[in-house]
Amino acid sequence: MTTHHIVNDQLAFCDIARKHRVIFYYVGYFSQNIVAAMADAIKLQLEVSGVNGPTRRKLFSSFIEMAQNIIHYSVDSLTPGDQENHEIRHGSVCISEKDGQYILLCANPIDTKAADDLRERLESLRGMTMDEIKRAYKESLRAEVPEGSKGAGLGFLTMARDACEPLEFEFWPMDQRPHVAMFYLKAAI
Amino acid sequence: MENLYVAATPSSPEVNFDFSLHQLSIRGESYPENAAAFYSDIIKSLRDYLAVCDDCTITVDIALAYFNSSSTKMLFNMFEAFNDAQSAGNHITVNWYHDEEDDTILEFGQELSDDFPELNFIDHAVESA
Repeated sequence: MTTHHIVNDQLAFCDIARKHRVIFYYVGYFSQNIVAAMADAIKLQLEVSGVNGPTRRKLFSSFIEMAQNIIHYSVDSLTPGDQENHEIRHGSVCISEKDGQYILLCANPIDTKAADDLRERLESLRGMTMDEIKRAYKESLRAEVPEGSKGAGLGFLTMARDACEPLEFEFWPMDQRPHVAMFYLKAAI
Repeated sequence: MENLYVAATPSSPEVNFDFSLHQLSIRGESYPENAAAFYSDIIKSLRDYLAVCDDCTITVDIALAYFNSSSTKMLFNMFEAFNDAQSAGNHITVNWYHDEEDDTILEFGQELSDDFPELNFIDHAVESA
């Protein structure tokens, strides 16, 4: 009899999600419409869960920054590489709770050349105090938009400013794809 | 000059620039896919209008519930345009609306006010719904 296998499989998955206190998880394609819909879902979820206003706002902000980075920079793209609008690209995002902190984790494949530049920027961010981050943010606001950046380079500074610890990140080479690395970013709020 | 009106979408604000009445407003959420593309045309129209303003009294209402990092940058650029117009002899009042519990938007308003001290900048903390 196979009556309970579906439920058991489902329970095993739900168990893991519950154990990790996952609030939101999505792996798939990200587009502006999809991100807007997820934003609504997350907003509602956080309100209903009784998360306080300032934390909700920071979570929402970092989620949007991460999700839009996926739309702009993931190398797994459904839309042609030179298309600059209505892009659809692949990645994943997970929001969970741990020890009173909310953890945002996102992942997407990126070009290894871009990875080097990214690693440098994120490492330099890790070395900054909150005051230095705020100062760098103000400078970046007033600077010219960096080339190749669709967002003026303020995204990571925005996340770092709202996080309660330095942003964490990892790059994993992908065996079957020598010019691609999987980029993981974690923010704690 | 033709007035500028851009309807709101779930992720971009309503932009209502009534140039004839000198009343400009931006309301809603701002996290468009490409903020530079969204705002650059708007800022261009704005600059064209401001260029022919002479000793005008202009009211700007900004009520944004959220703006992403690239929108923040574009807003800053927009304020540079307002500041230039103020320096050229116009009288610009900015009404900056935000949720009373939103420190991020309050602080950004303060930054704008500090960076562009000649503008008449008024902060409005709105009671949470």
